Amino acid sequence: MTITTRDTDGVVIFDIAGEIRRSDDMDTTLHHLVKTHLDRGKRRIMLNLERVEFIDSFGVGEILASYISTQNLGGKFKLFNISKKLLLIFQITMLTKVLDIYEDEDCALRSFGQA
Amino acid sequence: MTGPVLTGGGMSDGRLNKLLNRLADVRGPETRVAFYLFILFFLTTFSFYIIKPVKENFLIGVTPAWWPYADLATALLIGFVVALNVRLLNRLPRRAYVTATLLFFISSLFLFWYIFDTSQQLLAYTPLMHASAIVGVIPIKVIINNIWPLPVFVFCFWSDVFIATTITQFWIAVNDALDPYQAKRMVGLFVTGGLLGGIGGALLTSRLVRVIGPENLLLVCPAILLLLLVTVRLVYGQQKKLGEAAGPGPSRAGSRIGYLEGFEVVRGNRYLLFLAGLLASAMVAGSLINFQFKIVVKSAFAYDVARTSFLGSFYFAILLFSAVIHLATTGRMLKNFGIRLALLVAPVFLLLGSVSVFLIPAGLLMVWATMVRGTDKIFDTTISQSVRELLYIPVPADVKYKAKIFIDMFVSKFATGLGAGLFLLLYHVSLFAYKPASAQVREVGVLAVGFIALWIVLIGVVYAEYPSVLKKDLARKWRDADKVVEESVDMDMTRRVFDALQSRERSPTLYVMNIFDLIRKGRLSPELKDLLGFKQDEVRARSMDCLFDVGGEVFFQGFEEAIADKGFESEVRKVFASDDYKSVMGKRLEEIAGSDSEIERMEAAKLVGMMEPTPKALHILGILLQDTSPEVVSYVLGSAAVHRREEHIPLVLRHLNSPLTCQEAQAALVAYGSAVEDILRAALQDDSRPLNLRRAIPEVLAKIGTQKSADILLAELARRREELEPALVDALYRIRSNRPDVRFKEKGVRPEVLFLIKRGCEIFLDDVRGRPDSPGFSPERKALLDLKIKRIFDLLSLIHPAEDIVKAYQNILQGTRRSVDYSLELLDNILDRDLKAVLFPLIEDLPPMDRAQRLKKALRSLAQESARSRLK
Repeated sequence: MTITTRDTDGVVIFDIAGEIRRSDDMDTTLHHLVKTHLDRGKRRIMLNLERVEFIDSFGVGEILASYISTQNLGGKFKLFNISKKLLLIFQITMLTKVLDIYEDEDCALRSFGQA
Repeated sequence: MTGPVLTGGGMSDGRLNKLLNRLADVRGPETRVAFYLFILFFLTTFSFYIIKPVKENFLIGVTPAWWPYADLATALLIGFVVALNVRLLNRLPRRAYVTATLLFFISSLFLFWYIFDTSQQLLAYTPLMHASAIVGVIPIKVIINNIWPLPVFVFCFWSDVFIATTITQFWIAVNDALDPYQAKRMVGLFVTGGLLGGIGGALLTSRLVRVIGPENLLLVCPAILLLLLVTVRLVYGQQKKLGEAAGPGPSRAGSRIGYLEGFEVVRGNRYLLFLAGLLASAMVAGSLINFQFKIVVKSAFAYDVARTSFLGSFYFAILLFSAVIHLATTGRMLKNFGIRLALLVAPVFLLLGSVSVFLIPAGLLMVWATMVRGTDKIFDTTISQSVRELLYIPVPADVKYKAKIFIDMFVSKFATGLGAGLFLLLYHVSLFAYKPASAQVREVGVLAVGFIALWIVLIGVVYAEYPSVLKKDLARKWRDADKVVEESVDMDMTRRVFDALQSRERSPTLYVMNIFDLIRKGRLSPELKDLLGFKQDEVRARSMDCLFDVGGEVFFQGFEEAIADKGFESEVRKVFASDDYKSVMGKRLEEIAGSDSEIERMEAAKLVGMMEPTPKALHILGILLQDTSPEVVSYVLGSAAVHRREEHIPLVLRHLNSPLTCQEAQAALVAYGSAVEDILRAALQDDSRPLNLRRAIPEVLAKIGTQKSADILLAELARRREELEPALVDALYRIRSNRPDVRFKEKGVRPEVLFLIKRGCEIFLDDVRGRPDSPGFSPERKALLDLKIKRIFDLLSLIHPAEDIVKAYQNILQGTRRSVDYSLELLDNILDRDLKAVLFPLIEDLPPMDRAQRLKKALRSLAQESARSRLK
């Protein structure tokens, strides 16, 4: 898994590629990265899952931990560009009840303005 | 952190601000409106203390037996004035309403002057148009003499209406222009203005009356009322500016108010009902004390001149004392002791004074009456008045206007009338005319004590209601995310689904075992079956023993049919329990555990959790817990959670150190429950352990959630390892949030709150010191301080009502300026004086240098408290 970070109008966007799974070759975890930005005062976080091929139970745990850390500080945590298959899994496991999921980056960014 | 910051004014505002700050806590942008309100109240009471002696002078001239009728007349007629007043408020914009009422008072002052002046003249004529159209003149003095003392009673009633209207208008202006927290900070300033106005008015009257006579004093008032009119317009001009800066808030003006509506609003609102009762009991008690005073004064001074002279001196002295007491105590009392104590001061003193009338000799009655009446008036014009107005603050704006007018203008006058009625009743029933003054005073005293006692009881009731009324305007900005997840997502099922999906691509055995897990837990819904691509043929070929390649028959003929069979699970259990299976599988597992294949070890790690806990299986579990593959470890941690063997705890604990296995290790330890608390405590305190491992322990303890877990976390927090602070505070907050039965002792939590506040102060002051030319807050420091403040509030929720603390925090963080102020007001009522003194400079919206000064003071105060604690 590779994660690149960018900032758009104060929104931190993580572009993730590969599989969000338990793996030995990780320098850092997604949750750790999110927490680092929260510690710097960032409160708007988005994950771009366009190039994510697979998520395992560890990956789900990381996403939920990131969501909890962000929300509990009064921030917003959103996902976009999620594959149809992954969205189906999220729906069946009720993760869509909790996570803010948007079709694309523009929709996700616009939603901050509406909040 | 705090709400929007208003830009400050110019240099002149700066000087004015410094001046006003000597009297109250006035912030830059509030300076002008605060000053105008100060002047407004000054002019209001200035004019009143010209009118009041004139009124008293004419009333004293009337037979004393008539005195109660003046109050009774007001009580009976004030309702009509209220109706008229609310109609004007409904129909006119606020400025026009104030202008119209003030013009009415100005014109009627000229009329009263004419009547009283004419009554002093030997003869006067007035033109008259008869119905027969014959125009002529009749001596108006004759008319006045014929109707005398009616003009006096009309003037008394008019002056009551005047004071009630102008005072109500003043407080409406305060509520219009300021929000609750601003009003509370500045109320002392306004009362100072009122007292100075009263002293000025009384002083002017006492000097000028000798030159121009009492009736001509009425001609001074119109000029003052014109100044008052100008000031009102200035206040509303500033309100517009402040309102624009504050953002949307509750509607202020424009709501339709009806007279009956005011009554209905009060009747239907528990808090307002008690508030009206509180005011009424205080007014009745005050009225009775006033009659006691009049009885004593009447018996002590036989002549009008001496009596009037004494009354003049008495009022002047009262206002001077009031000013001194107010400047010395009101603000400090509100700031340091809060509303409750400030409310209680007056009735407690009056109760003691009223009870003492039964103990003192008759010779000291004059001293007693002066003291008690003086106490009543002094408190009424200082602390009680300030606090009574503050009690309206949490009431929503639309309700407030309706209720305030009804209570201030009707209930208060009705209560005064009730006091007069009770006095009149007692006067006749108890035959006062035949009793000495001391006996009369004591009999009235019994009634007064009763109403003061009622007053004290109602203070308790109103104070208990106050925070809940305040909280109605505060809503949570967000819910705790972990609770949202817990309520909406079955985490165990979710993990198993994702594990099953992953395993399908890697190992059919793992896949079937994961499916079996889902079936066993009743979580394989039709949707999930579709998602997993669950096909009968596929499953038929994937029975466990086939995949483990141990030979033997396929014992599932049709998985789908099998899972529908209720005996399915027990069949599988029987297999696991059979000695043959244990014997064969035990050997096979040992081989797999040592296999080079990660997949095989994962299968073994999963299987060992499904098997009976034989020594062999548990031994293999121990071996697998030391596996280097995080995938294997994640499965075997699940198995360890099933068997929960003590010997595996240290091995499980080690996996907290890796982020790849931390969540599963935490879940496994939580499964052990309180059996691992002591081990976790030791690991938490062991500084030689890896930091990540220690950081993961608080969450485990939070999920175990016992009293002991909470105590362990708090004890560790007291060791003040900053690197563990976020995890510890978060875990304590979660226990508080999820387990209301767990108790936290204030003596354990408070020092940690103060320590965090101290660190917060240092963070800010370090930033100011590091950048003296740029006193703004650097983003890094602000982020650090924000996190520190979050933890302070998390800890405060342990020892104070958690929901209130959370609401206050969230609104301070993300609310409008108005909700920030409501939050501060709520905290002001929840927290103790010492805590507020050090916490508020951190969370209030202050200019950086002002904040720095207050934080330095807070640090000194914290150092003193710390020294005191060490001495103890």
